[in-house]
Amino acid sequence: MNLYKLELRKIRLSSYIWCAFGIFTGLLALGILFLIILQVETGNGGSQDVELFDHWNGLLALITALAFACFSVLSAAVAAKAIVSEYCKDNAAVLLSYPVKRKAVLAAKCLMVCTITTVCAFVSNVSAVGIVYVIAQFMKTVPQMTGGPFALTVCMSSILMGILSSAAGLASAAFGYRRRSGIAAIVCSLAIVCVTANLVTISPRRIVWVMLAMCVLFTGAANVICHLLAKKIEIMEV
Amino acid sequence: MNTIVNVNSIAKSYGPVQVIHNCSFQIYEGEVYGLLGINGAGKTTLMKMILGLQRIDSGSIYVLGIKAGSSPEYLSNVGSVIETPSFYGHMNAEELLSMHLSYMQKKADIAKTLQLVGLEHTGRKPISQYSLGMKQRLGLARAIIHRPRLLILDEPLNGLDPIAITQMRELMRRLTDQGVSILLSSHIIGEIQHTADRIGILSGGSVKQEFNTAEKVSEYGGQFEDYVVNLMKGESA
Repeated sequence: MNLYKLELRKIRLSSYIWCAFGIFTGLLALGILFLIILQVETGNGGSQDVELFDHWNGLLALITALAFACFSVLSAAVAAKAIVSEYCKDNAAVLLSYPVKRKAVLAAKCLMVCTITTVCAFVSNVSAVGIVYVIAQFMKTVPQMTGGPFALTVCMSSILMGILSSAAGLASAAFGYRRRSGIAAIVCSLAIVCVTANLVTISPRRIVWVMLAMCVLFTGAANVICHLLAKKIEIMEV
Repeated sequence: MNTIVNVNSIAKSYGPVQVIHNCSFQIYEGEVYGLLGINGAGKTTLMKMILGLQRIDSGSIYVLGIKAGSSPEYLSNVGSVIETPSFYGHMNAEELLSMHLSYMQKKADIAKTLQLVGLEHTGRKPISQYSLGMKQRLGLARAIIHRPRLLILDEPLNGLDPIAITQMRELMRRLTDQGVSILLSSHIIGEIQHTADRIGILSGGSVKQEFNTAEKVSEYGGQFEDYVVNLMKGESA
């Protein structure tokens, strides 16, 4: 826990919180836009195009997919700062000359990246969907309620999205370390989300299960990648 | 005298280039050991090997009786300034030293250490706004604050003004009086001559010659610098 606190002191947390707030604002704007699309299309007699917007799970899937994309990049940015910059620049000599096991320091860094990403992603997604829900009541454009308890679905999918984003960010950081570049980590996260973000909307009515399956795959892969990264850091020379 | 660092026949290569080979020397308790060598002689590599930052191809290094690189525990008794020290720019000096102490799992008087290196008036100024000399002083403060038994300083006086250099020399002398051993590297003869008790000439990848500074200075007088330059070039005196 001490190493974790020390890692938190090394970064400017407020910068990332502001970034998360920016993402939240974007998600909210997108949610409101979806409601407007639904309202306009419903007035025009409806069409198949609005099928994804006319029930809450569809809206949740769209917002969560976008949130996953944004928070994966944010996670990669935090990981690039905490891991790639630290081990690939001048600070490495200082960091590696502390009487602390290298694996333990890396684990603290990974834990910090996961905590920041998951908390920010959860709060942003839940708040954005919650506010969109309230606005929908005022606009009298209420999508259908499907599936189980919606609040629980939102919370579950938001937590899973946060974990998913963390995993994507850590995997990207490992790539950035290999290339010795923070930018490479961020570009890698963009590539990951370009390929995988759409998977979130595969089956909106079963979003929690879809997210859970993705989470198992991503965290498994990230675990293996971080294990390999730890091995490299264990033998790294400065 | 207790041996603090024992370097035994070490070798290190970067690909086909052998940087260090068959290099041996000892550093004793409370002495300043000066490592002199031309640029690229392997001074920094040698220091990094003592700190476990570089692996040794063959031979061994023992620091305070513990094999370097085998376990990080011995590093709590070692302080170092390697090349240009780097910091977290958004922190101030107090925050940085407090973090360093947490890593070292030790407690110390931060204000007193800052006063020792002449940074007592920096207040909450972020390190990113420090001059090169101030960063060098802060690097030294970080190296000594946890009261190490061995101090490894790689060209620590770079970027310091003459007054600061004198203060740093006094500080090093005070530390050795307290039993701290110092390994100091430089390619500037005057810097080592005024500080080191013993000097090792690193040439061709190994310590070619070791001598007591005071003895050789009295023996060669004004020719001391020429004598050392010849040794650095690999010529016998």
